[in-house]
Amino acid sequence: MVKTVRGRPGSISSPAGPPSGQAAPLSFRRRGALWIRRHRVAPYLLVLPSLGMIAALLLWPTVQIGVFSFQNYGLPQLVGNGPTQWVGFSNYTQILHDPEFWLSLRLSVVSAAVMVPLTLVVGTLVGLLLAHLGPKMAAFVSSVAILAWATPPVSASVIFVWLATPDGGIVDWFATKLPHWLGGGAQWAGFSWTNAALPAYTLVIALVVWTAFPFIAIAVLAGLRTIPPELHESARVDGAGAWRTFWQVTYPLLKPMFRVLFLLSVIWDFGVFTQVYIIIGELGQRDEYNLGIYEYATAFQLPPAYGLASALAFILTIILLIITVGYVRASVKEGALL
Amino acid sequence: MGLRKTPAAVVAFGTAAALAIAGCSSSGSSTSASTSTSSAPAQLTVWRMGASVASQVTWMNNIVAEFHKDFPQYAKTKVNVVWVPWTSNTTEWNNALASGKNAPDITELGNTQTPTEASLGVLTSINSYVNSWSGKSGLVPGMLANDTQGGNIYAVPWFGGVRGVWYRTNQFKAAGITSTPTTWAQLVTDAQKLMAKYPGTYGIDAITDDTNAFASFIWGAGGQIATESNGTWTADLTSPADQAAIKWYVSLYRTYHLSPSKYIGQTELGNTGSTSGGANTDFGLGKLDLYIDGPWASATMPANSVDKSDWASFPIPSENGPNPAPAFAGGSDLGIFKTSKYPQADWDLISVMDSEPNSTSFANLQGFFPPYSSQLTNGPYKSSQLLSGFAAAASNTQISPLNAKNWTTADTGKYYIIPDMLKSLMNGAPFASTVAAANSQLQTVLNTGSES
Repeated sequence: MVKTVRGRPGSISSPAGPPSGQAAPLSFRRRGALWIRRHRVAPYLLVLPSLGMIAALLLWPTVQIGVFSFQNYGLPQLVGNGPTQWVGFSNYTQILHDPEFWLSLRLSVVSAAVMVPLTLVVGTLVGLLLAHLGPKMAAFVSSVAILAWATPPVSASVIFVWLATPDGGIVDWFATKLPHWLGGGAQWAGFSWTNAALPAYTLVIALVVWTAFPFIAIAVLAGLRTIPPELHESARVDGAGAWRTFWQVTYPLLKPMFRVLFLLSVIWDFGVFTQVYIIIGELGQRDEYNLGIYEYATAFQLPPAYGLASALAFILTIILLIITVGYVRASVKEGALL
Repeated sequence: MGLRKTPAAVVAFGTAAALAIAGCSSSGSSTSASTSTSSAPAQLTVWRMGASVASQVTWMNNIVAEFHKDFPQYAKTKVNVVWVPWTSNTTEWNNALASGKNAPDITELGNTQTPTEASLGVLTSINSYVNSWSGKSGLVPGMLANDTQGGNIYAVPWFGGVRGVWYRTNQFKAAGITSTPTTWAQLVTDAQKLMAKYPGTYGIDAITDDTNAFASFIWGAGGQIATESNGTWTADLTSPADQAAIKWYVSLYRTYHLSPSKYIGQTELGNTGSTSGGANTDFGLGKLDLYIDGPWASATMPANSVDKSDWASFPIPSENGPNPAPAFAGGSDLGIFKTSKYPQADWDLISVMDSEPNSTSFANLQGFFPPYSSQLTNGPYKSSQLLSGFAAAASNTQISPLNAKNWTTADTGKYYIIPDMLKSLMNGAPFASTVAAANSQLQTVLNTGSES
């Protein structure tokens, strides 16, 4: 089909066509091909398969969640024990009036606000370090970093829970050995990192930064390799130090990449679920929920409220859209995005 | 984003549960060809709660053998036992019902969960089976009523149990404690003596996530968690008696420092989802002097527990003695899952599991009490060192409001009202406003099933 479309108008009648000299009606195939070319639909046909996949796997569930968010959809409705009713915006108003929503939103925003810059800074520093290391040392450091990145979130979370357990965990042990002027001391013996939001999210942030920085580091390293060495060389000749070189040469050149990394980090860190779920001890601690956990609990904890959780999912999506769209627009205006 | 991730988590859960199958199948060598097996199920799945225990697997194997012998038509029916953690069982039921996959035929339920699950439509009504069942008349009065809703019976009681306080006789002797405490003040004094005698140990576990045990302190002060009148619940946490109990319990951590900070937010078995580091582990290893739980906790103690022969129990004291606080009448039921295609076969297996001799041998195996009156009055429980305290506690029990239709939602479902209140108070939240907020939330959830 594609081949036919590509043919010039004059070449429509191919050797396989009907005998010439007669005004024979065009075959179905040929008429289709003509129509496709006249209306310029070929590109759309080409993207159709992927569009279909996206529609089936992403758009359709999204539409359904949108529908649920306006219904009283729960377990009775799911198994057919009760009628599904339209409830208008009441799911949305209920969420916006729930203090728990604002509490979990605050935890999500604050933890992402710490995680994103920390991940970017640590990742960039390690990336710069890698660029300056000899090949053997660089291979060693990058493989160690990639190990952290490749550790599955569940395993990594369990390891961190062990490290910080009040029963002889190495974190508490180390904190008791620290000198007083560094905040160490006996008060850390048996300190629980999971029974309040602040220590629990300190642990979560450490864990997320630990698993996320290698990606940034590798990306920065790859970016650095694309910068011609002469630029850094001439900066050095002109007497610029490492700090100045980074901000005057490296950063401006890699700015588009940093923007993408920033955007990805925001999306990932705002939606952290697995690590938080394991570190706070599943769903028992309502004061330590972030938005993802709150949404999960709303959907699946007794009594299941899929409608309410769908509304919540939409609110979450809208928050992320506002952040990303706003950011992308600003970048495009600057003409700096890629 | 969270919602998109959940199906994977759910699948993982289901897979984990499926992997935990402790297979119990007969050899299937029966030569009885007299009955047609065409209507017999190829397999029955039984959900048991908690972690797989070897002695219980053996018990179940014997049950299956008896089932095959008593009901030759099921000689080729396999019985699969799947162990489901207590902390996630409501989610597992919902998921099984919602997806229709990996659902049980028979499930064990906590007796406080049965009313909720029955009202959610998770269980099949078993009236006709129970009414013609020989075991019905011998059950402890009231237990079956707990499983009945609108004239329909949804489950049968399998075993019961009460919580008390675990201690070690050798530790009491060494600390100079001659009799078990019968008031709160004595309980605190004794815990202090034990901590002084055994430096580095914790006196008692003031955990926050076990309302089944905490209820005894409310009741032991003469209070109620909530009361029902004409179908409407009134929460009672702000009453003077309740406030005294809450204040005293929180003071075990904040004032007396008898309980460590790590127990805040924990159940009696530790953090949800973790398998070590809980109060049960600490008691087993001798790091905790007094531990509040039922006799079944021995199955959860670590293998390297110390001084097991000195384990003993006393009932949870009331505020001013001398009688113990009322204990929560806990226990498990057996019910038939809504989606099961073989209710008759399910019931036949339940009738074997829950016969008087079998439920008694099962209860004895792990420190529960069977649901049959005659066994309780003539049983061997009062003479055992470990069980005597629990047997004493069992003489004065209460279950309301922990069997209210919306209790599970309020306590371990979506809201964790009392656990969160205790946790906030232990973390330093202002007393009056925190209790008042929990009280109004509890009343709303008990009456409506949700917060608003």
